[in-house]
This record gives sequence, C-alpha cells and structure tokens, in this order.
Amino acid sequence: MENLNLALTLLLAGFVIVFLVLVLLILIITVYGKIIQFAQKAVSKKNQKVEKPAIRSVTREEIEEYDSDEIPEEIIAVIAAAVDAMYGTKPHRIKNVKRSRSIRSSWGNAGIAENTRPF
Amino acid sequence: MDIFNKLGEIIVNLYNSSGLASLDWQNYVMIGIAFVLMFLAIKKQYEPLLLLPIAFGMMLVNIFPGIMGNPSTQLMTLEQLQAANLDPASYTTSTLDGVTYYNVTENGGLFYYLYQGVHLGIFPPLIFLGIGAMTDFGPLIANPKSFILGAAAQIGIFITFIGATFLNFAPKEAGSIAIIGGADGPTAIFVTSQLSPELLGPIAVAAYSYMALVPIIQPPIMKLLTTKKERSIVMEQLRPVSKIEKIIFPIVVVVLVAILLPDAAPLVGMLMLGNLFKESGVVDRIAKTAQNELMNIVTIFLGTTVGATASGTLFLTPKTLGIIALGLIAFCFGTACGVLFGKIMCWATHGKVNPLIGSAGVSAVPMAARISQKVGQEENPANFLLMHAMGPNVAGVIGSAVAAGVLISVLK
Repeated sequence: MENLNLALTLLLAGFVIVFLVLVLLILIITVYGKIIQFAQKAVSKKNQKVEKPAIRSVTREEIEEYDSDEIPEEIIAVIAAAVDAMYGTKPHRIKNVKRSRSIRSSWGNAGIAENTRPF
Repeated sequence: MDIFNKLGEIIVNLYNSSGLASLDWQNYVMIGIAFVLMFLAIKKQYEPLLLLPIAFGMMLVNIFPGIMGNPSTQLMTLEQLQAANLDPASYTTSTLDGVTYYNVTENGGLFYYLYQGVHLGIFPPLIFLGIGAMTDFGPLIANPKSFILGAAAQIGIFITFIGATFLNFAPKEAGSIAIIGGADGPTAIFVTSQLSPELLGPIAVAAYSYMALVPIIQPPIMKLLTTKKERSIVMEQLRPVSKIEKIIFPIVVVVLVAILLPDAAPLVGMLMLGNLFKESGVVDRIAKTAQNELMNIVTIFLGTTVGATASGTLFLTPKTLGIIALGLIAFCFGTACGVLFGKIMCWATHGKVNPLIGSAGVSAVPMAARISQKVGQEENPANFLLMHAMGPNVAGVIGSAVAAGVLISVLK
C-alpha cells in the first residue's frame, strides 16, 4: 500500500514536473525567438535603408534564358551517365529529361534521401 | 602405450578447460539470442552501431564468462605459494589466527575494466556529449510546442513505475525499470547506476535492444492509434532559425534544468555542452572529436560491455524476464502517449499537426523520427515529416533526462 502511494505520488509529481519544465522552456524559447527575430528584422530594415541595391533593367532575352526549360547537352550527358550507373545492368532508355520544379534544393533532397534510406 | 595415455589426458584436459564442459544451457540460449541480434544488425541494419557490439559482447561472455570476471585476491600459505612456483617477495602478506598468508591477486577480465565506465555512470554523459554535438535543435526552436510531445512520451515511464510496483519490485528497482520507457539507453544506464546498480545488466540490454527495435515496435502502435486521414496530414514548412538562437538555446536549457532539477544536470549539461561546441562554430576540432572519435570509442566500450552483462546464468531468470517485459510495456506506453498527445495537438490546431510525430517523443534519436517519416510516407509519398518529427525527438531526449532527474531525486 505504501509503495502504491509512492507510485501514484511519483506519477503525479513526474507528470507535473516534466511538463512544467518543458512548458517553461517553450515560453523562454518562444520569447527569446521573438526578440531575436524582431531585432534581426530591425537590423535588416536599417541596412536596406543604408544601401539600396542598384536597380538594373533586364532584357527579355535574359528572362527567357533564365526561364528556359532547355537543358544543355552536357547536363543531359551527365544525367544519362548517372542513370546508367544506377541501372547499368538492366536494359534502359532515357526518353525525356525535365527540369524538376521541386522547392527543395538538390542538397535538401540528398539530405532527405540519406536520412530516410531503408533501415 | 604411455604416449596414448598422455594424448588422452591432454584431450580430456582440453575438453575440461573448454566452454563445452563448463557452459550451461542458459549460455547456449544466450548465444542463440546473440546470433539473432547480429542477424538483425547486419542483415536488417536495425541500429547496427548499437546492436552489433551488444550482440558480440553477449556472445563472447556466454562462451568465455571470465572476460567479465571480477578481480580477486586469494590467500595462500608459503607452502602453497612455493608449490605454485610463485615468488613470495612479489606479494603482500596478511596474518589470520597467527598464520601468515600471501595475498595473491588475480586481475579481472578485460570487459570488467571497460564496464567500470558504465557502472560508475561515466559513459552515459559522454554519449550525451556526442549526441549534443551531433544534434540540430533547429526544428525544436522553430516549433517549441514540440516540447509537449517530448513530455507526453515520458508519461509511459511513470505509468510503468506503477505496474512495476504492483509486481512487487522495490521502488528503486521500479524506477530503474520504468526509465526504459524513455527509450534512451544512456539515461536508463545513468538512472540505474544511481538507483539499483544490481539491475544494470538487464536494464541496459533491454533499453538498448528496444532502441534498436524501434522500427518493429513503434509502427503497429502508431497505425493502431491514428486514422489514415491523420497519417496523411502534410505539415507546414518550419521557419529558418538564426545562429544566435541556436547558440542561446543550450545555455538557456542547461541553466533552467540544472537549477530546477540538479540530478538531471550531468546528462543535460553534457548534452548541451556538446551542442554549444557545435553551434558556437569556434571549437570545430572539439565538436568533431565529440561527434566522431569520442562517441565511437565510448559506443564500442558501452555496447560490448552492456552485451557482456547478459550472461545466461544471471540473465535467464524470472526477474530479468519480468524487467524485459515491463521495459517493453513502458516503451509501448511512451509511444502511445506521444501519439495520443499528437492527436490532441492535431485537434487543437485544426489538423495542422500530424499525430505521427508524437511517437518521436520517446528519444531514440534519430530512429524514432525516421519511423514517423517512414509511416507518414506510406500514406502519402510526398509527405516529409522528418524535420517536424526531429522536434519532439530531441525534446524527448531533454524530457527523458528531466524524468530521470525526477526519479533520482524522489527515489534516491
């Protein structure tokens, strides 16, 4: 009976203390996060006022070149070599190469692949 | 004829000194279990960094128990010493009932000495130093509410404490068993070395085995407690966290936790020291040593010696099996409480939180977070929960250290 009382006390005490400490941490982190974000925004606004970036007109050709889906032949050769390295033993044919519209960078995707590879 | 007699004698002596003559059936069972664990580590790659040294240590101690043998002192008379061809000048003497004895000391086994790092609670904080140096607390700082899930997953610890008390374990033993629910090997070892060192072997083996078997234990519980719709929830991308926030974080955590719960200071302190090494960016050499060389060396010593505590004759007892079973219950409760709180957060945020990240609250970094990612992707291949699950996962490390501090301060 004495041990059971201790167990119930510990359940309550443990529950309350663990949550209390972690909730305190939530509050502290939220507050200092907000302060730092606010301070950083203020600094970046100040910097923007000090040095305005030079505005330059962009030609239509430049925009088209940037937006173009056309992939240089060297890049296609590299992609083909990479595909061959992966599937070299199986018969394969590359029909189409499209630029990915993923919002993640290649490094981001590589990181995810590394962290989620089969166990 | 004499030659054959001598040959027979040698063969008999060899047999008697070999494991074949001295091992019990329990040793053979443990060797079999070690083979299974090695298979899981090598073939299935379940936490091989932990499971492989544990399994090998387990196999070795069951073939040659002397490797964990304690150092001993034998009292010998002068005649016995001379009969054994030993030099009396090399030994100190003791006198009992007027008879002078020579203290012939014998060294312990290799693993006995390596095990002192576990026994004295030195290795767990060192492991935490390495974990801290490897951990990015960014997801937790970006979404501090994750701390709630890290705390929720610790409820299993305290519920299991009640279960262990019902099964007539003494309070200190119950506390050591319950901490397995935190799914944090170093924390479990640290608490047990403080509360009930005699249970260190089974508790360490249970804690590390369950950490390694997270991919088998957690998914069924996660699927059971969530709906397909909940598992498919895609969470918003986290905000970027500035360097200064990351530098302040370890200092704030250690100051708060060490003031409120001094018993958790060795673990949380070393965890945050390692993290400060990493985030400060001014001690790269030390940070890399903590992440790699130190961590690897301590992991080898800890893994092999923890495995070596699982000697068949000591391990296969009803009490140990009870501890293993309760540890599993604690771990399942922790996972379930994390997922259930994840569901509450999902409801409170109108479906913005995927409850699967709650299961990552049981430490086991980063395996538990990877499981959240894997189970989430089974429903929606375009869903990336990993970074969201890392928040509760690292919060779980801090939470289990806080829970450990509570257990030590109440029960010691």
